Amino acid sequence: MTATVTPRRRKSGPGPAVMLLVGLFVLLMTIFIIGPLVWLGLHAFSESWSYPNLLPSSWTMRWWQVVLSDKSLGVAVQNSLFFAPMTVLLSSIICLPAAYAFARHEFWGRRTFLIGLFATNAFPKMGLFVTIASLFYALNLMNTITGVLIIHILGTVVFMTWIPAAAFAAVPRSLEEAARDAGASKLRVLTSVTLPMAFPGILVAMVMSFLASFDEAQGTYLVGAPVFMTMPTQMYSLVLNYPNQVAAVFSILLAIPSVALMTAAHKHIAGGHLAEGFQIK
Amino acid sequence: MTVTLPERTADAGTTSVRKRRTFRPVGFLLALPPVLLILVFVGFPIVLALGFSLGFTGGLNHTVAIIGQNVHESTSGFGTLAAYQEVFSNQRFLTDLGVTVLVTVLATVLVISLALGIGLFLKLRGGRIARLLSGLAIVPLFIPVVISSWAILTFYSGDGFMRSFFAHLGVEFPVWSFTMVAVIIGSVWTSLPFATLMITSGLQAVPDAMIEAARDAGAGFVRIVLSVIVPMAFIPIIIATTFTAIGVVGSFTVPYFLGPNSPNMLGVDMSNYFSSFNQPQQSVVMAFAVFVIASGLAALYVWANFRSAKEQGKA
Repeated sequence: MTATVTPRRRKSGPGPAVMLLVGLFVLLMTIFIIGPLVWLGLHAFSESWSYPNLLPSSWTMRWWQVVLSDKSLGVAVQNSLFFAPMTVLLSSIICLPAAYAFARHEFWGRRTFLIGLFATNAFPKMGLFVTIASLFYALNLMNTITGVLIIHILGTVVFMTWIPAAAFAAVPRSLEEAARDAGASKLRVLTSVTLPMAFPGILVAMVMSFLASFDEAQGTYLVGAPVFMTMPTQMYSLVLNYPNQVAAVFSILLAIPSVALMTAAHKHIAGGHLAEGFQIK
Repeated sequence: MTVTLPERTADAGTTSVRKRRTFRPVGFLLALPPVLLILVFVGFPIVLALGFSLGFTGGLNHTVAIIGQNVHESTSGFGTLAAYQEVFSNQRFLTDLGVTVLVTVLATVLVISLALGIGLFLKLRGGRIARLLSGLAIVPLFIPVVISSWAILTFYSGDGFMRSFFAHLGVEFPVWSFTMVAVIIGSVWTSLPFATLMITSGLQAVPDAMIEAARDAGAGFVRIVLSVIVPMAFIPIIIATTFTAIGVVGSFTVPYFLGPNSPNMLGVDMSNYFSSFNQPQQSVVMAFAVFVIASGLAALYVWANFRSAKEQGKA
């Protein structure tokens, strides 16, 4: 089979017109995807910038000082760095055993449960938060850490259940059985065989959950503001109350954890763990 | 995943019977926590909200009903459709509903076409350019939506890059910020990574040998795509389509930052009616309107998954 694959790719060598079209498409996609980010990034260092120049006429680091010396922005960074890891931790405790059960056990209502988790995605977030708010008033959860954490965890349940479930299901059972036959205890099989093999999928789920919590703005604003402001909720008011450049600096700061985590897990995400998790089995 | 089942039954004897998905309460118990969480904090509020939208203002809805203005209360025990009548006879709502559906359809079509194009390019030709394209399409996954919305706003604004660049060429480029064009651009931008991941992974799973066989039988490019690749990757394509559409139809941040004051998408209206106009009941009615659309799409997703499960002999 390999012998036929190689000539296939060479046989249909693209003509110059096709190459030109492809090149144009790549250029347009680059401008479309990367352009806005670069343009925003430049604003973070611009002193003055007049239309229609393509670069600022003078540069400055002033806006970085404005952001770094602002107390309320610092608090927002702290809050975000507290809520996101807590969300991942709690969500893991709640969802990972369930993910294992979905992959390895057959039980009454299994399929219904899997699809029921999907309800969080189908109901519009804004509408959901509005309805949750009335419940939170009644339960005295407004403006509490617990309230904000519940909102954040709700946004991670689908990732934390579906993606690890697919990862657990993909661990060959023959390996687990071989370990059992060799005398390993059930716990030992879980920690030495199943978990390490499912780890890439779990990692992808954790990264996605961290970012979901880190990016969550609408619900946090409704339930947490003004007591608990996180970086994205702060971004909403920044955009309205500060000059463009401050929002640009803040954007770069807000993007750092996302880019770092995504780069770390990029291989696994592109490797199909994310896609695999969204097919109910 | 399912392929391993038969061989295991063959060689592992009695133990495999026990170890195949066994009917045991422990699985049910392990699966319970996230389901309970969703039931209490999503299912229950939705039921509560449905009651509120029908004019039941007692119990847990009491606080919201007192704070809110223009609340239609049910006088009979059967509830009232007064809030729905009010919202659905509001011209602004109807316009925004149309806008929401239009943006959803356009953005979804664009996203799926782009993702399919990139996926097919990667599958049929491969190489560095194809990998570069699929890498580009995943970049938005790295960027929080608040930031990307803001970046897109400045990029297409009056003094943004597009206007500046075309001004150098002597062309007056339109201002897209605060228009529905920007909302569609933003929706495509933010939805592209998931659809691309889903569709490329689906297309990669189509065996090369089948494409090869079709080609040897004389099938052209279009024929191969329509008769071999798309049918075989049908489920991932449906999943990508429904998730994209559900994401766009209920979106808030993108239309909030990029769209005009009016008409805009219902996500923004919901927020406005709840916070700015203090009319929670009307806001909830809109949420149910969007929910009905999203449920239709969700049904398509569930159907696609059951179909795929059946094909694999699991249902």
